[in-house]
Amino acid sequence: MAGSALRRLMAEYKQLTLNPPEGIVAGPINEENFFDWECLIVGPDGTCFEGGVFPAKLTFPTDYPLSPPKMQFTCEMFHPNIYSDGRVCISILHAPGDDPLGYESSAERWSPVQSVEKILLSVISMLAEPNDESGANIDAAKMWRDNRAEFDRIATRIVRKSLNIPL
Amino acid sequence: MELKSLSERKRRTFLRYLDRLGKAKDEDDGEAESGETKRKPTNWMEEAEKRLELLKLRVEKDGGDDDDKDDDDWDDFGSSDEDLSDIEINEKQSKMRIELVILGSLVLSTSVVGNAYYQKKQFYPSVVHITKSNPSMMVMYIQALVIVVLLGKLMKKIFFGQLRAAEVEHLIDRSWYAITETCLAFTVFREDFSTKFVALFTVLLFLKAFHWLVEDRVDYMERSPIISWLFHFRVTSLLLVLGVLDWHFIQVAYYATLTQGASVQLVFGFEYAILLTMVAMVTVKYALHTYDINRENPWEDKAVFLLYAELAIGFIKVILYMMFMLIMIRVYTLPLFAVRPMYLAMRSFKKALSDVILSRRAIRNLNTLYPDATAEDLANTDNVCIICREEMVTGAKKLPCNHIFHATCLRSWFQRQQTCPTCRLEVLRAPGNPIGNPAPPAAANVRPPQQQAAPSPPPPQAANAPQAVPVQPPLPPFIPPHHPFNFPFPMPNIPQQAGANDVRYVPDANGQRPVMPPPFSLPPFMPFVVPPPRPPANLGALSDAELRAMEGQERRHLEARIRVLRDIQTLLDAAVLQMNQYGILVARLEHESNNNTETVRSTGEEAPVASGQQAEEQQPGVSATSSPVENEVLTPEEETNLSDQERLRRRRVQRFMNGGEQN
Ligand SMILES: [Zn+2]
Ligand SMILES: [Zn+2]
Repeated sequence: MAGSALRRLMAEYKQLTLNPPEGIVAGPINEENFFDWECLIVGPDGTCFEGGVFPAKLTFPTDYPLSPPKMQFTCEMFHPNIYSDGRVCISILHAPGDDPLGYESSAERWSPVQSVEKILLSVISMLAEPNDESGANIDAAKMWRDNRAEFDRIATRIVRKSLNIPL
Repeated sequence: MELKSLSERKRRTFLRYLDRLGKAKDEDDGEAESGETKRKPTNWMEEAEKRLELLKLRVEKDGGDDDDKDDDDWDDFGSSDEDLSDIEINEKQSKMRIELVILGSLVLSTSVVGNAYYQKKQFYPSVVHITKSNPSMMVMYIQALVIVVLLGKLMKKIFFGQLRAAEVEHLIDRSWYAITETCLAFTVFREDFSTKFVALFTVLLFLKAFHWLVEDRVDYMERSPIISWLFHFRVTSLLLVLGVLDWHFIQVAYYATLTQGASVQLVFGFEYAILLTMVAMVTVKYALHTYDINRENPWEDKAVFLLYAELAIGFIKVILYMMFMLIMIRVYTLPLFAVRPMYLAMRSFKKALSDVILSRRAIRNLNTLYPDATAEDLANTDNVCIICREEMVTGAKKLPCNHIFHATCLRSWFQRQQTCPTCRLEVLRAPGNPIGNPAPPAAANVRPPQQQAAPSPPPPQAANAPQAVPVQPPLPPFIPPHHPFNFPFPMPNIPQQAGANDVRYVPDANGQRPVMPPPFSLPPFMPFVVPPPRPPANLGALSDAELRAMEGQERRHLEARIRVLRDIQTLLDAAVLQMNQYGILVARLEHESNNNTETVRSTGEEAPVASGQQAEEQQPGVSATSSPVENEVLTPEEETNLSDQERLRRRRVQRFMNGGEQN
């Protein structure tokens, strides 16, 4: 019998594929290794990221779901809560106690109740409503606050790039 | 197979996004104006259409038998074509470069050997010729290195097949550290520096790399649902080979050290010993994983076995490092090159130790604090453990917040955090059970009265004592009724005496009551009203959790005792103060009585006391003790002036003073 982490990941994969939530597709890159996933996230409608299809990868620890996975966009992103290398910084991906930015209450932290689906949905809502308090990308956070037009312009460029549409 | 249909569905969803992508592109085509942008969309469109066709074909075919190609498509997605071709070109170039190096070194070494043989015509002279010439030796070294690398590649092919990206990354990281540390080791053994020495270190590094790889490979077992027989064959044979090699090199080092004394062989022996512990750990892990994979149902205790294995091997490693450090410091100098790995070994040992402790605590709490979920409980919920997303049949535990999980799932979660995974209630800090579940403090289980149904007056439980004390306002907060036997002196006498003295003195003062601090409003003590302490429970019979809970209560008791002792100290201070005041009072009374001896009248109250006193005064012992003191205070002339009554009174005071001191 496979380990409990593997079994849970397989169950989540099945769940996500049989009932994919709107705007999300996710699964292991290679079904010989269930701990490295890829996913596509569609930019939420009515936001500056609307229409974009953003690829990202999820890396699960061996003790999943006791510890959270890591998420990293593999395309260019410009967002207050995404590091310039694509790593996503939202509270759901941090265990309580592990607090890189110090803004988050433990209520929204990682716990085994969370799942890939919940993570990806949180990321979608993060795209819609950046949290400029915890700045993973300070420039983006500043621009989001002070110069929304410029931010929207960059976001549109990124959306087009994600769709392989020339600028 | 189930997985196949899943990937089929994933592909279909992917297709939807591709369609979306295509739509976005079509819209864009309308907008595009300049010729330059027109050119690129065509490229992109071709590519997208190619992908769409490919995927549609596959979806329609409903087969998906060419998984590799699909995965390629997935990998490509999101990264542009230019990047891909760059990577391909880089790979090709580096491959060509490697081949060139191999070929070059081969050509060089054959030419060197050929040249030597051509000149000397015989085997031994040509060997001597080569070893005497530095450039030809250099060529030979390079050739040896190339052969080692080729051998490594061959072994890698045999034992690992294709390396995963993570494995390569890990290998490169660790290699850099190892190489740095080897260079540091060279500085310690400058005198021994020779070809053999370098060769031995190369072999060591080479074997180390394989140890790291096999470790990563065995860890990978947990991640993959597909473990082929080839995998098992490769891992077991590699572990065997590595174990034998490590053992061989340890033996070599051991005999070399025995026969030739301390040398660089010490380092090798130690390094191979460490590698052997690594082989042992990997073997244990491999055995556990293999057993787990081949079981029909989940194996819950695997994590515990792993923890203990890690603890034991971590301990051996730490001991080895410490021994090595000590020996090296005695024979040579501080081996800087071993400091980092030693630190890492200690850290991982510490982590293993704390993991074991946390795991034990989690198991204990589960066994003692939380009830098993009943069938009814399970029926009331959706019956799925939120941690593993599997059904709960047996072995489920209910937390105080009524959330139910597998006991084993909870155990591993409690190792990290003591909260409910669902509602984040701090389960360990809520022993009082606000929601009213039957999880009493563990220590209470020891005491039978807890189980009584009748609401009798609260039994004097240890748990109640600290709360009960502050509830009674007149009682000072420093008497835990539980431990009256802890007062080392007759506590109740102090206030009684103070009170009695006060009563006796007020009339004496004749209206002018001496300015005394209120005599320390001492509450009525009742140390013996509470039941005597029960005999201590048999500690050996308690479980660990009960002991722990009791420990917490004992601590509170101890704090209460310390508070009592402090209060006693205050009382004593007050008593001393009062005594001093009595002394002052006595001196003043003497003074007063000297001034107006005849005017002092005895009150009605005093008379009987005085007469009683008189009777006592007849006893020789008492008068003997009191008179010298009196004589000290009074001059002979004064004494003659004193009336009998006054003398008696003084004696009484004096006697009282003595009595106070005796107490
Ligand atoms: Zn479970
Ligand atoms: Zn709960």
